[in-house]
Amino acid sequence: MMTAALRLTGIDMHYGYVRALTGIDFHVQPGEVVGLLGDNGAGKSTLLKIMSGAHRPSGGTVEVHGRKVELHEPSDAARAGVQMVYQDLALVDAQDIATNLNIGREILRRGPLGWLGFVDHKAMRRRSEAELDRLGVRTAPMTRPVEMLSGGQRQVVALARSAIRVAGAGQGVLLLDEPTAALGYEQTKQVEALIRRMAAEGVAIVLVTHNLPLCHEVADRVVILNRGVKVADVRLDETENDHIVGWITGARPSQFVTRQEIS
Amino acid sequence: MTAAVPATEAAVPAGRDMPRAVTLLVFARDRGIFILWGAIILAFSFWCAPYFATLDNAMLVANAAAITAIFAAGVGIGVMTGVLDLSLPGTAAFAACVVGWLMTHGQPTWLSLTVGLLAGAVVGLVNGLIALRGFNPIIVTIGTLSALSGLAAVIAGGYTFPGLRSLQFMGTDRYVGVPAPVYIVAVLFLAGFLFLTRTRDGIRLMAVGGNAEAARRSGIHSERYRVLGFVISGLCAALGGLVSTAVTTEATPEASPGIIFNALTAVALAGVALTGGRGSLPRVLVGALILATIANGLTIRGVQPYWATVLTGVLLLGSLGLERVIQRSVSNRLMATANLSVHSGKA
Ligand SMILES: Nc1ncnc2c1ncn2[C@@H]1O[C@H](COP(=O)(O)OP(=O)(O)OP(=O)(O)O)[C@@H](O)[C@H]1O
Ligand SMILES: [Mg+2]
Repeated sequence: MMTAALRLTGIDMHYGYVRALTGIDFHVQPGEVVGLLGDNGAGKSTLLKIMSGAHRPSGGTVEVHGRKVELHEPSDAARAGVQMVYQDLALVDAQDIATNLNIGREILRRGPLGWLGFVDHKAMRRRSEAELDRLGVRTAPMTRPVEMLSGGQRQVVALARSAIRVAGAGQGVLLLDEPTAALGYEQTKQVEALIRRMAAEGVAIVLVTHNLPLCHEVADRVVILNRGVKVADVRLDETENDHIVGWITGARPSQFVTRQEIS
Repeated sequence: MTAAVPATEAAVPAGRDMPRAVTLLVFARDRGIFILWGAIILAFSFWCAPYFATLDNAMLVANAAAITAIFAAGVGIGVMTGVLDLSLPGTAAFAACVVGWLMTHGQPTWLSLTVGLLAGAVVGLVNGLIALRGFNPIIVTIGTLSALSGLAAVIAGGYTFPGLRSLQFMGTDRYVGVPAPVYIVAVLFLAGFLFLTRTRDGIRLMAVGGNAEAARRSGIHSERYRVLGFVISGLCAALGGLVSTAVTTEATPEASPGIIFNALTAVALAGVALTGGRGSLPRVLVGALILATIANGLTIRGVQPYWATVLTGVLLLGSLGLERVIQRSVSNRLMATANLSVHSGKA
């Protein structure tokens, strides 16, 4: 069996006295899309933040491609090839698409101008266009300011910004928190296509969402949390929608024997 | 479920190009100030004929705009990077007195000027480091404003440094008929413009001003760039102080608050959003030139100078209103087309 792109073992998380997560085991393979489901407050975002290095778990281990890592901050995760797309996109509105995609990884001009820090706008635009083509994404012209894009286009730019960096890191991991929350029907379809395409490229994808149809459309497997405990981990083609809803609401008993029941 | 995605289908269709009206509105927003300046020049050319539209008078206007323009560059770059630096007059007076002291103590001109500029950069660095600790930059820079003007007075021993004639080369001297400060402004704005739009650090600086969180997530140390914004602002302030000193051949510890008001007016006229991340130096330059042009034209016609202040105020408010209207109608039009593309797609 392949080593998991990302594997979490026995993750505990406390916020003061609040127990947000208890003993979570989780993994995602390269090229796999895992839907992370659960009701409000189930701990999905918390788990995602641990994967992205935004939070440190109170207990448990994180492995990236079989290597144990300590993620102290998001840049550690980024270096290990894990990128997160936040719900609040965080784009630089006044700048154009090319700048948003290239910031932090600029191409400098050759020669003396490059030594002075002059960037090669044309080369960066060309590279971004090639990268977006590879992802199968067409947004607007590269020189369009982000503030002039529609919600769907902005979402795609934010996704692409992370996807490009993940692709640059070889087989990376992409974490998505509600990527279609603000999108209409057609734009959701476009984001679905983008997710599938990145998975086809070998990117491991974790998708937090309340949108079950989206999950059915793009995910291979779902992991369901209920009040900070993992209650199900199933392939979508081996289960049915009613069961998933049952696990989410807590109406259906956990697939796993919980610790309390043992003791 | 895992249905393959057709490889040729784009995830997002290439958006139809922006409606013409939006392109026009954006043009008006970004280039409007140049048109406004042109209109003012044209109006004065007729109204103040034959004295206004002459080369000599153009030099007068450019020279009068120079010092405001230098400070406006400092305020402008600061604001674009998300920093409102109110300590500018204090930094200017401090740098001027440092230079005055060094020169009256027998130091060579070049060394004195270098140290003066460095003093400005250090002030910016200190401002930046304090502001990084989570204090409000406006309050911090008001504090340094007061501290610096006091320090300048200490250096000057309560007096001024008069008779700094060796600074005339960058003050009142003319080269090919053009006053020295005009050259300084030209170089400063060209360098600043290239820096902010063509270089890696400049582009990052603008991005941090626009959305520090977005920059941080792209792996950029936002804090360093915020401090850099303060340092540039301090450097411009010092340069402004040195040029003022050169023009009057006297270094005074007086930190005139008028400096910051003029600079802010030019910056605001240029449509630089105080929220940061937006704006362009050429427009700031034109903002400073508009102020000088109005003052000059009205003086030629013998209108009382306070009417110039009234007129700039009205222009400023008018430009704010216009920008609001343009912004609204751009977003309305874009909204309309976005909905259109979603609905027409479903059919
Ligand atoms: N910073 C925090 N401090 C204290 N408690 C927190 C914090 N963040 C989350 N929690 C708690 O942890 C639990 C899990 O929250 P989390 O945000 O992970 O849920 P979620 O599954 O993402 O919910 P939603 O679907 O509403 O986004 C909740 O009980 C929440 O109140
Ligand atoms: Mg959440």
